[in-house]
Amino acid sequence: MAPAALAQQDTALYHLQGVEIFGKPAEVFAAGSRVSTLDSSYLQTYTSRSLAEALQARTPIYFKTYGASGISSASFRGTSAGHTAVLWNGLNITLPSLGQSDFATLPLSSVGEVAMQHGAAGATYGSGAIGGAILLNSPTYGRQGFRGDLQQEVGSFGRYFSNAAASYSNEKLAVGISGNWQLAPNRFPYRDYATFGAPERKQEHAEVQQHGFAQDLVWHLSPKSKLSLHSWYTSTDREVQPALGAAYTNAQQLDKNLRLMAGYDYSSRWGQTSIKTAWFSDYLKYTDDNNYSVTDIQTYQVQAEQTYTYGKRWSLRGGVNLQHFTGDVEGYGGGVTEDRAAAFALFRFDPTEALELSLNMRQAFIKNYNPAPTPTVGANWKLASGQNHHLYLKGNVSGSYRVPTLNERFWQPGGNSNLKPEQGWNYESGLRHVYTLGSLLVESEATAYYMLVDNWVQWVPTPEGFWTPHNLQKVRSQGLELSSQASRQLGDLKLTATAGYTYTSTEQVKAYEGTEELDRQLAYVPLHKATFFTDAAFRTWSLSGNLSYNGLRYTNGNNTNFLPSFTLVGFALNKQFLLGQQKLIASARVDNATNTDYKTMQNLPMPGRQYALSLRFIIP
Amino acid sequence: MKKYITVRRFFVAAALLTGSLSFSSCENDNEGPSGEYAQDAVLVSNEGNFNSSNASVSYLNRSNGSVTNEIFKKANPEMVLGDVLQSMAVHGDRAFMVMNNSRKVVVANANTFKAEGEISGLEMPRYFVALNDSKGYVTEWVTFSGNGRVAVVDLKTLTVTKIIEVGINPERLLLAGGKLYVANREDNKLSVINTATDVLETTIPVTHGPNGLALDNNNNLWVTSSGLKVYDPVTWEISTETSAPGTLSKINTSSNTVVDTANFSSRSASPGNLTTSKDKTRLYFTYNGKTYQQDPQVRQLSRTPFIGRSFNALGVDPATNYLYAARSTGYTSDGWVIRFNPSGAAVDSFRVGIAPNGFVFR
Repeated sequence: MAPAALAQQDTALYHLQGVEIFGKPAEVFAAGSRVSTLDSSYLQTYTSRSLAEALQARTPIYFKTYGASGISSASFRGTSAGHTAVLWNGLNITLPSLGQSDFATLPLSSVGEVAMQHGAAGATYGSGAIGGAILLNSPTYGRQGFRGDLQQEVGSFGRYFSNAAASYSNEKLAVGISGNWQLAPNRFPYRDYATFGAPERKQEHAEVQQHGFAQDLVWHLSPKSKLSLHSWYTSTDREVQPALGAAYTNAQQLDKNLRLMAGYDYSSRWGQTSIKTAWFSDYLKYTDDNNYSVTDIQTYQVQAEQTYTYGKRWSLRGGVNLQHFTGDVEGYGGGVTEDRAAAFALFRFDPTEALELSLNMRQAFIKNYNPAPTPTVGANWKLASGQNHHLYLKGNVSGSYRVPTLNERFWQPGGNSNLKPEQGWNYESGLRHVYTLGSLLVESEATAYYMLVDNWVQWVPTPEGFWTPHNLQKVRSQGLELSSQASRQLGDLKLTATAGYTYTSTEQVKAYEGTEELDRQLAYVPLHKATFFTDAAFRTWSLSGNLSYNGLRYTNGNNTNFLPSFTLVGFALNKQFLLGQQKLIASARVDNATNTDYKTMQNLPMPGRQYALSLRFIIP
Repeated sequence: MKKYITVRRFFVAAALLTGSLSFSSCENDNEGPSGEYAQDAVLVSNEGNFNSSNASVSYLNRSNGSVTNEIFKKANPEMVLGDVLQSMAVHGDRAFMVMNNSRKVVVANANTFKAEGEISGLEMPRYFVALNDSKGYVTEWVTFSGNGRVAVVDLKTLTVTKIIEVGINPERLLLAGGKLYVANREDNKLSVINTATDVLETTIPVTHGPNGLALDNNNNLWVTSSGLKVYDPVTWEISTETSAPGTLSKINTSSNTVVDTANFSSRSASPGNLTTSKDKTRLYFTYNGKTYQQDPQVRQLSRTPFIGRSFNALGVDPATNYLYAARSTGYTSDGWVIRFNPSGAAVDSFRVGIAPNGFVFR
């Protein structure tokens, strides 16, 4: 390659990664807020699991899981399932019908990176980012040449998981494709306390069959431009596990989610231009002896943004996002369409090396609703800096909003067309401390937050037997997030340990009617959650351990009934064998190692101790 | 033992003859039953949320006003009562809890609430009544839209011995004069079963939707019917134009014919929760957001509300003549029981379980 071309490419690289000089992409415009990531070695070890299991094990987010096969929804900083936005390659993939994501249908095997934005981020991520946002990115293919990856896993209670991936990349092109298949009959033993004599039974109605594929293509058209194509398909077919004592009525749910997106990035003297266009097809079929319900929704999305970065001082991004939904939903009595638009401006400014500022603003436009503008003001300030220590003070104020979902408005019966949009304010402040001594690195963070959400939407069952959403006038969530991570390299041994604790108090503080449920912890939000996990690598061996503690969760609005706290422990051991150029990785895993009998929803037993053995073959 | 049963049978027969419907078994027992929930007991059934199996039973001590919730769970710590407690009845020393979505009736000792067994294999069971110590009846919907049935249960073995097909969505049951009256909730008739032969003897045509049965002091059977309601397919609201008004009908239990029917004025509202005072000279029911007291001797429907609110369930305590009213606060928080004195003034209230729907006075 001619030196000139090389130089040009370097420039292109500099331009394309322009904003990344401020840190990880997710953090650029999030100065003053907390952004965390899931460790990549963890993602490698737990490929066969879902995003729900990964986040439950390693983050402060609490997951409500409806039995072994059921849907799994997030409670981030005490908020409800619709308050966590999920973005894939920068675009919101939350189901427009439900307004929430089922994290059990998001397999880790199709995801390259997982980042969490804690707290409201309406300005950056739009509707639904009230408690936080989960940012998923497709895998990147750094290495040049061909790579193949085959994995087979067998586990307890009849589980099989297979994954195959192939990728190729050179200077111009990177392509990758992967497919996965999983069968989890979940035939775990449990004691049926709802039958006289409490007989021991095997779960018979919690089978999950999941398969899918993901494909990525990144093509550098020129040194200044690239085209990318990503697709992601998952099909999840499951039996809906009945509660102890509740009749099984052949309840089945089939989810088919196809996501396609194309992106074009171009660098010029005006900065980076990024255009993304996407088509999502979300199909959900629920059937039982008395119901047959199909929700089929198409989402068309375009996002165009321009980012200008000036040296290391500031970066400005402006953009628009357009969404068009068209749904053919029996539950709505036919077709529904909706258009949404949003304009945003994100500004990052570092006046000195010690101070980083963010000022973001977003305005959404939706027919029949008038969402208020959502700003974010945030700052990171390096308070003190010593030879081994760095101490940062950070804080932000951010707005958030959520427009009622299609189901909340149109579902028959129960849909409530008078529902008001949710509007939230999040205030937080914290300290971050980084300590280094030789190869020892200790990063600690403490964040306190206070959040108010007006017109919080809650679904309640009616005496007629259907559910209907209504607004809670004002909900306050406040809490504390503590985490500390230490890592150290000792010769061939690399050790990492992370401890986290979260206190979450979420209460309705103002009610439109009645005062009976005021100032009580909302149901299914644990006051306490703690995690502790370690990763150790020694030559060809690696070991990981995960412990999570989830405090008691009330099951009713007046806090007289609760599900007891539980602790889950898991381990994974990997050994890598070199076979010429090829690698073979053998893994043994145990989940719920202490065989804890726990429930995240009333009377829905969860599996006890589970083993899994896996072989993974990597070329080259 | 045999003598005991004979005495008991005599007592039950006597109770039926005098029209007593309270399944009070031990009024003339000198020692009285022992158990935490035996004395001065008012038991409240709490339906719980569908598919969560969080139904419960509350105990209210009527003399000192203390409340104990979750008494089944307290007596059987690891056990789960089941899903959707539709109704509860007590006969002798046994409580029968009809678990609609668990497809069974859970049987517990009524004084201690220790589980004693279950009647399983029922399809959408709704209400239970015991004829005597050895025989009981359970209504079963079986389906939402077709004919339901009455299961005849051997209370010694807790097994179904016979099924009798009745009308659509059979619910409330009432025993009178050797007959079992069955109200078919989505039909326009009562089914009458001879309790000696367990054969369907006759049907009594009534207004569509019989949802309550009560016997007055003259042995007249009173029936509240909702009227045929038409639902808007979109909102599921009851149409105010095409729905038919509800009625209160009087049935002569000798001839099993309707002798009088009074029409309510609203097409959309339904009367419900029919019950009687201690001496059976007053009827109580809910209608259109209010609670009414009706003199069975008066042909005109009462227009003055007894209480300006409606409730999820009503019950009159035969010991005090207090009216007990259940208020549901939805299915995600616990409901309330409010007590009213015989003149309709609220006395006190208690928080019970999720969606309280019935009372048993012992």
